Amino acid sequence: MFKPKEFRYCETDPAAPVRDSSYASKELPKAALLVFPLLLLMPLLRAQSPDLPPGPALAKVRTACLECHDASIIVQQRLNKAAWTKEVDKMIKWGALVEAVDRDSFIDYLSTNFPPDKSPEEMPRTASMKRR
Amino acid sequence: MISRRDFLKRVSGAVATAGAIPPLLTWATDDSSPQIPGEEGMIVRSARFLDLETPQEFLTSWITPVPHFFVRNHMHEPSTLDPRSWRLTIGGEVEKPLTLNLADLAKLEKHTVTNTLECAGNGRAFQQPHVPGIQWQKGAVGTARFSGPRLRDLLQRAGVKPTGKHVMFHGLDEVPGKVPPFIRSIPIEKATDSDTLIATHMNDLPLSKHHGFPARSLVPGWIGAASCKWLSEIKVLDKEFDGNFMKPGYRFPNQAGKPGDPVNPDETHVITALSVKSVIATPADGSTLRSRSIRIDGVAWAGEADIARVEISTDSGASWKPAQLGREQSKYAWRLWTFAWKAPKAGDYTLMARATDSLGRTQPETAVWNPSGYLYNAIDQVKIHVQA
Repeated sequence: MFKPKEFRYCETDPAAPVRDSSYASKELPKAALLVFPLLLLMPLLRAQSPDLPPGPALAKVRTACLECHDASIIVQQRLNKAAWTKEVDKMIKWGALVEAVDRDSFIDYLSTNFPPDKSPEEMPRTASMKRR
Repeated sequence: MISRRDFLKRVSGAVATAGAIPPLLTWATDDSSPQIPGEEGMIVRSARFLDLETPQEFLTSWITPVPHFFVRNHMHEPSTLDPRSWRLTIGGEVEKPLTLNLADLAKLEKHTVTNTLECAGNGRAFQQPHVPGIQWQKGAVGTARFSGPRLRDLLQRAGVKPTGKHVMFHGLDEVPGKVPPFIRSIPIEKATDSDTLIATHMNDLPLSKHHGFPARSLVPGWIGAASCKWLSEIKVLDKEFDGNFMKPGYRFPNQAGKPGDPVNPDETHVITALSVKSVIATPADGSTLRSRSIRIDGVAWAGEADIARVEISTDSGASWKPAQLGREQSKYAWRLWTFAWKAPKAGDYTLMARATDSLGRTQPETAVWNPSGYLYNAIDQVKIHVQA
């Protein structure tokens, strides 16, 4: 199964363990013990973990794009087909592994799902220690 | 002129008076928010690479606390940073190439500059038509006290040859795939300015990892991209560096064209100093205010120039009145401003802020469109609804 690694994040101290700062709560294991609270959390967790929408190119887009960056960089763009074409070609030049035969399906997928007239993406916020 | 204490009181009062605390603030306290050590309540534009935006309502303090200071990364942050083994090399067009460690830097005379650092792409999200890139809104900007030795003292020790015209910075960020490394250069005149630093401290503490520990260049008044984090190499060049992040990256059209039209790369120039700009911190766009007594607060900056005035319109730009500037000021640093207003009646209003600087530059109604959305500085506006 594909394991998203887009929110892996390294601590300042290289000796410290790599913290998975995924948008899932650090309290989640506790919450998972109780089914009901978990169900309540589900919509929130989904809202905080930008995932890519379904489509024929999804699996290949995930593999090629999320190797270097997370999905949030993709989902916040609002571009027409010409602009997406430029972006895809730039990323191929910069090392994204996209088979020539898949290029057009990448452009179609991205321009269909992230067009100029779509409303802006709501991005999550980091925890606010002081306000707890 | 109001005192700092009064100003702050008014600023904090403004939020309460306006009743305009955005609902996201409550949401941010939720335990399910992403945890990034050292970062508080920041908008996550990207987690990998890490790009964090300061929420507009935090833009009300003259010095931005480090946990609220925006983070911009093009690449992965260095996976290891060991202050003991860290070295800075100075080479290229110099008489005596140098290799320095952190203790060597600490022995040099320390200088402090209070600088407003803004990402060139701040406000990109407002460009029409949309342009690709991190969709920053108002908060890829912050002000901090940066301290460290002057770059010119290091260059003097190395002895710049007469052929040395530009100074290149290279950091330890890790480049994925075939992405070109983030290398840029600045002209020798700016590099030897007495305020250009190799900063080791930010707000009197050692730089945090996200802000370039253990040392970064700090090119005051210029776009953030001029200041290189995790600095490891300084190279004096006989000409401007010509890598990706100098061309086609970080360039601005010589003449404004029609929005959306292609820009000829030969008719562009490298972006250096910041434009004149102000943003409204509170009230928030789309907020409903319960009182007709409203304080409008924000910040204004102008790169290497000073802010001369900030004007506010509460009638969609039909008339303008001066805002009161905060007392704290320093070359390269933004000014806080505040404006007390009584809405004549309940209803919908468009509030606007417009800054003018010491060079006579005033924010335009429409920013110059460019394909990467750099230097967005259109007059800021928020729409509010007054209930009472």
